[in-house]
Amino acid sequence: MMKVDVLTSQRTRSNSLVLGFVLLLVLGVASVAASASVDPISVEDQAFFEARVRPVLVERCLECHSSSSKSLKGGLRLDSAEGWKAGGESGPVIEPGRPQDSLLIEAVRYEDPTLRMPPKGKLPEQAIADLTEWVRRGAPDPRGGGVELKPASRPAESRPRAMDLDQARRHWAYQPLSKAAPPSVRDESWPLGRIDRYLLAALEARGLAPSPEADRPTLIRRLTLDLTGLPPSPEAVEAFTRDPDPAAYERLVDRLLADPAYGERWGRHWLDVARYADTKDGVLMYGDARLRPYAYTYRDYVIRAWNDDTPFDRFIHEQLAADLIRPEVEPWRKAAMGFLTLGRMFDSNIHDVIDDRIDTTTRGFLGLTVACARCHDHKYDAIGTSDYYALYGVFAGSESPLEPPLIEPEDSSAEIKTFEVKAKPFRDAIRAMLDAQYVLLSETARKRAGDYLVRAATTPPDPLETAIFFMSLSPEDLRPQILARWRRYLEQRSRPDDPVFGLWGELIRLPESELADRSAELVERWLSKPRGTRPGQLNPLLAEELARTPPPKTRAEVARFHGDLLLKVHGASRSTGSSPVASDASEQPARDQLLAVLTSQDSPCYFPKSQTDNYMSRSEKDSYRGKIVELDKLVAAAPRAAARAMVMVESESPHDPRIFVRGNPSQLGDPVPRRFLRVLAGAEPTPFAHGGGRLDLAEAITAEENPLTRRVIVNRLWMHHFGEPLAASPSDFGARGAPPSHPELLDDLAAGLERRGWSIKTVQRAIVLSRAYRQSSVDRPECHDVDPDNRLLWRFRRVRLDLEAMRDTLLAVSGRLDRALGGRSVDVAGDAENRRRTVYGLVDRQSLPASFRAFDFASPDVSVERRPFTTVPQQALFGMNAPFVVAQARALATRPEVKAAGSPSLRVRALYRLVLARPAEPGEVAAALDFLAAAPDQATQLSPLEQFAQVLLLTNELMFVD
Amino acid sequence: MIDPLERLLEAGDACSRREALRRFGAGLGVLGLVGVLGDMELLGNAAWGADTGAPDLAINPLAPRPSHFPAKAKHLIHIYLNGGPSQVDTFDPKPMLKKYEGKMLPSGNLSTERKTGAALPSPFKFKKYGESGIEISELFDRTASRHIDDLCLIRSMRANTPNHEQSMRLMNCGDERLSRPSMGAWLTYGLGSENQDLPGFVALCPGLPVADVSNWRAAFLPGIYQGTYIDTRKAKAEELIEHIRNPLLAPRDQRRQLDLLTALNRRHQAPRGDDAALEARIASFELAYRMQTAALEAFDLDREPRHVRELYGEGTQARQLLIARRLIERGVRVVQVFHGDVQPWDSHENLEKNHRSLAQQCDQPIAALLSDLKRLGLFEETIVLCGGEFGRTPSVELVNGKPGQGRDHNHWGFSVWLAGGGVKGGMVHGATDDFGYQAVENPVHVHDLHATLLHLLGFDHTRLTYRHAGRDFRLTDVHGEVVQDVLA
Repeated sequence: MMKVDVLTSQRTRSNSLVLGFVLLLVLGVASVAASASVDPISVEDQAFFEARVRPVLVERCLECHSSSSKSLKGGLRLDSAEGWKAGGESGPVIEPGRPQDSLLIEAVRYEDPTLRMPPKGKLPEQAIADLTEWVRRGAPDPRGGGVELKPASRPAESRPRAMDLDQARRHWAYQPLSKAAPPSVRDESWPLGRIDRYLLAALEARGLAPSPEADRPTLIRRLTLDLTGLPPSPEAVEAFTRDPDPAAYERLVDRLLADPAYGERWGRHWLDVARYADTKDGVLMYGDARLRPYAYTYRDYVIRAWNDDTPFDRFIHEQLAADLIRPEVEPWRKAAMGFLTLGRMFDSNIHDVIDDRIDTTTRGFLGLTVACARCHDHKYDAIGTSDYYALYGVFAGSESPLEPPLIEPEDSSAEIKTFEVKAKPFRDAIRAMLDAQYVLLSETARKRAGDYLVRAATTPPDPLETAIFFMSLSPEDLRPQILARWRRYLEQRSRPDDPVFGLWGELIRLPESELADRSAELVERWLSKPRGTRPGQLNPLLAEELARTPPPKTRAEVARFHGDLLLKVHGASRSTGSSPVASDASEQPARDQLLAVLTSQDSPCYFPKSQTDNYMSRSEKDSYRGKIVELDKLVAAAPRAAARAMVMVESESPHDPRIFVRGNPSQLGDPVPRRFLRVLAGAEPTPFAHGGGRLDLAEAITAEENPLTRRVIVNRLWMHHFGEPLAASPSDFGARGAPPSHPELLDDLAAGLERRGWSIKTVQRAIVLSRAYRQSSVDRPECHDVDPDNRLLWRFRRVRLDLEAMRDTLLAVSGRLDRALGGRSVDVAGDAENRRRTVYGLVDRQSLPASFRAFDFASPDVSVERRPFTTVPQQALFGMNAPFVVAQARALATRPEVKAAGSPSLRVRALYRLVLARPAEPGEVAAALDFLAAAPDQATQLSPLEQFAQVLLLTNELMFVD
Repeated sequence: MIDPLERLLEAGDACSRREALRRFGAGLGVLGLVGVLGDMELLGNAAWGADTGAPDLAINPLAPRPSHFPAKAKHLIHIYLNGGPSQVDTFDPKPMLKKYEGKMLPSGNLSTERKTGAALPSPFKFKKYGESGIEISELFDRTASRHIDDLCLIRSMRANTPNHEQSMRLMNCGDERLSRPSMGAWLTYGLGSENQDLPGFVALCPGLPVADVSNWRAAFLPGIYQGTYIDTRKAKAEELIEHIRNPLLAPRDQRRQLDLLTALNRRHQAPRGDDAALEARIASFELAYRMQTAALEAFDLDREPRHVRELYGEGTQARQLLIARRLIERGVRVVQVFHGDVQPWDSHENLEKNHRSLAQQCDQPIAALLSDLKRLGLFEETIVLCGGEFGRTPSVELVNGKPGQGRDHNHWGFSVWLAGGGVKGGMVHGATDDFGYQAVENPVHVHDLHATLLHLLGFDHTRLTYRHAGRDFRLTDVHGEVVQDVLA
């Protein structure tokens, strides 16, 4: 059969036969090619190729089979359709439509011992099935004749190319802030400041005029809810309405900006971006201990930082690197790093944890979706995988300490002191177990190097080695992560000139069946090399051992031989202390070279102490994590525990990142320096110089030449003040994000932020003092027709209260709001009697209360740029039936002002004033009196007045802000 | 009694009577008004289109929407045998295991979560059923006896990891760890719901399955698409849904409250012109009021005739599946029925006893559900999916190095079945190797299953997307192939 012929042709075929086949195949290919040019590839075929075929080719074939391969193997190129159609030294390799006759398929099936591709290990079954299916479909290949980029070996910084970056930087968001003067306007009497000029100019350009100023009750309600998340008291409304002073509004603004409720409101907006939650993910896994007992210190930090008007650049520095700022920050500011540490756990998958940190940092501060570049260069923005892994390196070089540092004294109160004394033995036990396990497990990893080598040499990689975060290991099991690292290590070191693993590589690449016959010859050849530790030489100790031992007959023997040698050197070093002294000083470099295989930080045996639990056997891991859970529970159960900051600190050594090809941690690509994004920092950004680089990153984010950070934050501020942002996708300022409706205004606000020392409150003050902000929200058909979405802001937008403002409003008007600041999170959803502001409510990441979800609370799983806005019956059910709402209605009906009222109509008037901060109209009183007069049903346990109070609490008038 | 709106207007306050009457129509009364406006129109009926990108979710995110292309099926019931049922003991007979009993399999054991040893033949009897002659085990005898020719059995399923958490999330959300919306959330986002009085997506479980609420999460989709979780350990209908009634208020009094509320809201709205958000909130109270009755009724199994209840039998599985049918009947889009708390099918030990008793709990109700759907004409518009997050090893699990009486997790190959609208019945797709270890013939990855289910419900899985964090996300990420073979 053809298959056999093609195969045998590989080595021994007579020329005529080969020629015959080539002719046959060329003809076949030509006809396929011709038909392919007539029929373009179907969408399905293209999708199949992109999803299933291209990745396999790129990852496993192109290193040796592309036009940019260092040495093209077998003359075969698989990087273009022309490449495989032309075939290689063995002739064509693909018979479109006939996988059974295709050499390529034969090779990847590994059935013929003389033809196995890729040589380093069989493809996963799925990949083989995919290639087979592709060939069966006729090998539809959308690639042109051009050169395929080859991620694994192309220089890391080759894409995006410099030209692409220049091109990309023309995008509005990367441009320097415009410094142009505000535009002139026709109606000079209207603008109060720069903001108004930009808006008015745009309105006038469309022939529109702004709306008149809203009345004072509307203004104070709008401003108070906006700045503090609480409704104004009736007294405040009355006083402001009566105040004849034209500066009354300005004074109101200043009073509200100074109110601690301001930080509770605006801090919560930031917590959406920071995907704040009080718990880990995994309800069943962690049970009651899913609470992170110190998470609240981050929430309190955010609130306090906003209240203090912490400069926004400093706010960023603290959240990324409070531990590195010098002089040292005040203790409470260390809690800022909860920004990094409070994300999901992702079943302890460190790559996902880091991805979450990259995502939250880049979308949150920069409005860039860098996480899109985890597996491939960003499809739309000039962000490469090299950028992603540059940041990966920054976060991978940090870890959370076992014990979060105190941010208040351990003896600041008797309660706290008692607790900390009680907790000490728990902390000690955890530390002791960690120390002991680290020593044990890292020594075991070294001692069993031989076993790892045997396994690596004799078995194909198991995909589970890179998805091991959850396996149940027994003490004697080889650790899959270490095994995976050995495989990688060996792959990298078995270059032909490596003085230790060069020979290894050549031996292992021999077919098992030939190894016994050919090893002696290979060993002989190596022994003829000069001795030394430099490339091209042979390590003298290895040479000595080789000369003494019979040549290995199997791969296992090769592995055992190397393992024994390494162990011998390691054992000697152990017995002579940490720095082994060779009997012969000239042997020292050779010894060190071998020892480094087991003991350096590049060694596959090495793992940082902070990751020890991932290497523990199932029972130890359960016991260790059990101890931590126990401590967490103890903290949660204690009446008070000293506050601690959930910080990160620098790891033992910085992490030197390498690109993960297609995001796969077991497919290492090129190294990249830790550095900032090229599109923002220039084609060759200076690598971060300080430790892991977190502070450098923070500084790059707030650098003057980076306009994004300022644009992004002022756009977020604008969104919360006006209900819509200027640029419609607040966390995506990239090519796919919406350009701003008023670009010059956005730039002016951003420039203003920096001019005013990054003071958020100063920018906000300017915004709420603008005439635009004070417009009435009444609809005007003539404007509506021109700009139905009110993008030009010809009126103020009516908004509905969000979850927090809704709940806090109900508490406030019923006279029950507890204004205490800060502290541990409380159950605001389940406990109908809870009176704290909603921002202090426990955010249980996985079991978000149904009412939170119904009212569009921000998902705490990922950074949220803006909440969805929905109107659903579950919200109404909450208003009608939730014990919390009923409790507020009851409290409201018994407020002193209501009780003191002498008649039903006076009680109605009192309720109107308390809830809606205005007098009741006569018709409203009449309707209320009708309602109160009806006798309730026997089954009803709420008085008519309580029922009426509840109705007022549910009105659109209370739930919307004009 | 005087209509509260009339009363508000007759006292001649800020809102002119003429204006209000022009706006709301005279004499209809508040209730009638809402009825006339009609919930659907009032709440918007956003069309789904590839070009419009996404429906307008702000007004009524659950309004029904057409799918990409017409499809028979409109609903999905996912019977989730959580914990990993053993394929070689249920739907994938492997007589070769008997031959190798006590011996190591010649093909070697694949790596799974724990160590396994020699071949462990199934203790259960297999036989051929129906016209199609598909062979399955006695564990699902009732289902097979009546419905084998309705089932489309996929014996070549594949997942990625032999761990429950990851595989549960993969099966439900298309990703093992990242925060991705569940299939139910995607479908509810895609199709809306046909019943505005009930949630669009309901997850039933006595207790919580592994990976808990992440199984039915909405992730970055609006929260309304998240599965409404019902703990079926609670028997009383009114305990099942939060805030479904107010125990302190008689319905008549609540009705009066809502009439007054609507009147006040209408008056508030008069000077504010057309504002869809104000309108929608007014309507939402009327919907909520009706939802109270509708939801309680849907979960109240006492309303089923005795012969129907007897068809399903006794126990939690019977109750859950009957509730599922009642929800589908009422237009709920997706119902997931988890077998039990944590991972009941996880038979590392005592497999024979455990599997027998688990199957006994659900075989009769599953058979009943399929018959019942047919009886009500719902079978053709519903897809039933039944299976776990992975299967189990054909080799015995080693306990302290010695063979035990159970099997380890196995993601290399396992079985699920489909039935209902658009699915080819009485067929087997794909196969595992001789021992049932791994899918070798026409492997169907979980992503492929998702693509196929979306197709059956009228969606091109590559086009059902949602823009988030700079990307258009989809259930199948960058994977997924529709399994054409199973389509009727």
